[in-house]
Amino acid sequence: MVERFTTAPIELPPRDRPFERADLIFYGLDHSGASYEARVFIDPRGVGREADSSHRAYAGRFFIFGHGGCFGDVGHCDIPTDPDPFDLRPSHQLEPATQIVTVTDSVRGLLERGIEAAKVTVVARTEGRAPNDVLAFDTVRLVSYA
Amino acid sequence: MSTASPLAPALAARALRHRRSARRLTAGQLADFRRAITESQAIGDDRGYQRWAGIHGLPLPISCVHNDELFLPWHRAYLYFFEKSLQDRVPGVTLPWWDWTNHIEGVPGPYARRRADGRKNPLFDSPIQASGRVSPRQARTTRQPGDPDELPSAAEIGAVLANRDFLTFQNQLEGIHGGVHVWTGGTMGSVPTAAYDPLFWAHHCMIDRLWYLWQLRHPGAGVPASLLGRALAPFPMTVRQTLDVTQLGYDYAAATAAAKGPGRG
Repeated sequence: MVERFTTAPIELPPRDRPFERADLIFYGLDHSGASYEARVFIDPRGVGREADSSHRAYAGRFFIFGHGGCFGDVGHCDIPTDPDPFDLRPSHQLEPATQIVTVTDSVRGLLERGIEAAKVTVVARTEGRAPNDVLAFDTVRLVSYA
Repeated sequence: MSTASPLAPALAARALRHRRSARRLTAGQLADFRRAITESQAIGDDRGYQRWAGIHGLPLPISCVHNDELFLPWHRAYLYFFEKSLQDRVPGVTLPWWDWTNHIEGVPGPYARRRADGRKNPLFDSPIQASGRVSPRQARTTRQPGDPDELPSAAEIGAVLANRDFLTFQNQLEGIHGGVHVWTGGTMGSVPTAAYDPLFWAHHCMIDRLWYLWQLRHPGAGVPASLLGRALAPFPMTVRQTLDVTQLGYDYAAATAAAKGPGRG
């Protein structure tokens, strides 16, 4: 778990392929800990821990409504790793989440500046005194829609 | 939309109740709702408030569905059965919704005041049963609301409602829903305890209303067929049975008003 993460550069849509909408889709998000706001920045030079929506690289945000820890015995919050196709019980509570952040204007702005690929930084902010190192995800994908 | 409800259409029409904005309740409607919550909170058995709040989170099992394709149907079923338990206390009472796109006051007035009508306001906070607490000292619900301007805007909601695909719409709406939980803070800010706060029900009533508005706007779209037969545990209801709110006996109204007729005597 981390408080802040920056990806490798992600390729932007080709300039000659107009799009109506562009989304950043975060897959495999952990939501077992404290609830938090995740601020998303594209081409994030100079983004610090306190950066907010006024930063030029700010692209949007998502929220994780967290479980706040495990309240069971050992193994209670372990997600099954080998799902059985005949298991009709509801999925485990902590199956990873997917979040979509629409970033159309940000991506268009980068393309207008001639940028073809950009890093993405995510900064997690919890409420109150909870630690901010709550961020974990598998992949982020930039998807554009014509 | 499906019409698989056990209610016959004529009965559903006769029994239809309106859910209203928390800010637009008449004094009588608000008094009835407060009485229903007060009486529910006073019941210690499986008809009472603690049992209903505990279904969402602690005590285990945590039954709520988040980050899952059943998020909206599950919470519609949850509100339906909780509302029915309130109607057992005060017939005809309905859950109000919290329109958080109105940034004027943040937490709506009926929920924000510690006292109302000369007594303790049951919408301000609630006890938390011992088995529902994250820490032993968490005897009552608390809030730490943020700046009202940080709540979702009408423009954000408009963009979410524009999605034609149900799963995309649901995912984006759930994200906004999570943000309101975080904004409210305190008990509402964590899955295991959120439903103990009386404001939880108004928040989720707003979420349910937005799904209803999405259904009206996209009559050709809908929940994927593969989900319709799924059960919404622990409730005796399938996804299909949640699709038409009028078959569940309620509708959403911007406002309602009534006047007595001459009588039939």
